[in-house]
Amino acid sequence: MRKKSSRKRPSRFRAFRLIILIGLLLTMGLIFLVSTLGNQEFGPLHKMIFESVGPVQKVVARSSDYVRSLKTEYLDLLRVREENTRLWSELQECRAALYKSREAMATNAMLRRLLDFKRNSGFPTVAATIIGKDPSLWFRSVIIDRGSGDGVVKGMAVVTGDGIVGQVFNVAPGYSKVLLAIAPSSAIDVLLQKSRVRGILKGTGSLTYRLEYILKTVDVAEGDRVVTAGYGGLFPTGLPVGVVSRVIRKRRGMFQEIEVRPAVDFLTLEDLLVIEQERRPLE
Amino acid sequence: MVVVIFLAMGLLLVILQTTVFMLNPVWPAAPDLYYILVAYLAYRMDLLRSLIILFPLSCVLDVLSGTVLGMYPAICFGGFFLLRFMAGRLPVRESLYQVPMIAVSFLVVSWLVYVVLFFLEPVVLIPWSWPLVLLRAALIILFSFPLFRLFERINKRLQGGLSPLKRLRVRSGNRFR
Repeated sequence: MRKKSSRKRPSRFRAFRLIILIGLLLTMGLIFLVSTLGNQEFGPLHKMIFESVGPVQKVVARSSDYVRSLKTEYLDLLRVREENTRLWSELQECRAALYKSREAMATNAMLRRLLDFKRNSGFPTVAATIIGKDPSLWFRSVIIDRGSGDGVVKGMAVVTGDGIVGQVFNVAPGYSKVLLAIAPSSAIDVLLQKSRVRGILKGTGSLTYRLEYILKTVDVAEGDRVVTAGYGGLFPTGLPVGVVSRVIRKRRGMFQEIEVRPAVDFLTLEDLLVIEQERRPLE
Repeated sequence: MVVVIFLAMGLLLVILQTTVFMLNPVWPAAPDLYYILVAYLAYRMDLLRSLIILFPLSCVLDVLSGTVLGMYPAICFGGFFLLRFMAGRLPVRESLYQVPMIAVSFLVVSWLVYVVLFFLEPVVLIPWSWPLVLLRAALIILFSFPLFRLFERINKRLQGGLSPLKRLRVRSGNRFR
């Protein structure tokens, strides 16, 4: 029985304490409510609550933002891999298309020049493509895919839209060998366009010509244009050959040493025209 | 069969040399692949079969390159006999160690042919240039190693016979005989 009474006392005390606490809280709440509703004032309590909750809110909000952005970034990363693969393949396709289009444009420009030359020259021509180059260190020739079956004869002039390339040296039914104008064995009758003085253009084996038999009395300057003379009937008259790039007048001798830069770019030769002209073949 | 295959190889090398390795008409660094085949024939093949391969090969070279007919047969046969002569007198018989001799023979034969041509037709030749010829000789050395291995493999395969019966031939137990 004693035990029972000793248990009841604290429980009563506890209930009493609880009632007082609730009462106190209710009273405080009532006071707070009345004062808030009455004044509509953002009091010190509000400010205190605001100041204490604010940082927590800030931290939680930032953390939440961080987690959200992390999630978004991760998802983006997953999507980026796929997109990266797709974009790479697209880029490759675009690059290939660009190269093709550039190549087509370059070929188009070159063929246009050839066509212009063909129209303007008025000579019957045979279009040919270079299929092989002379690997020797001592000669300069190329193989073209046109031969006697296409009307090509030994000695015919070979040109591009820019000027002379050389002349046909050997002929087979389907293919021909062209001796380039830069070969040392090549000799072409030419004229200095300004002074109309005739000379012989010889190849040097490199990417220049040597203009020979021009007297010292002739006025030649760098930049003077050199064209074919048309003598001997090998090359038609007036075809561009090159531009004078250097003139050396030595004390001794009758003639000047003249270096001519070719009109044709021999490094990029691809498509050519063989001019069909009535002429005796080369011996 | 060996002759046909090596002749086809020679033609392929010449075509590669005149197309793929010649970037433009004045390109100086085209390797003389045909000369490596000439050297291989001199070192590894018997005289008759070598000559059967060399005749058409030098003719093709004459057609595709140069303006003086007979120049390439002179180089091919000159190089072939010079290398054969040197190979017979060298103490080292392993062909891979003889590779520098190929470049030396190329230089000697090229120079001799050039001198002869220069006296016969001086106008048609581009002046001799040591740097360019040495570059070509270096390219020959460079390409000799892989091409010799390739030729050796093809030759062994052909000599071993293409029929599977030959490959399954039973060998005797004595490997040191």
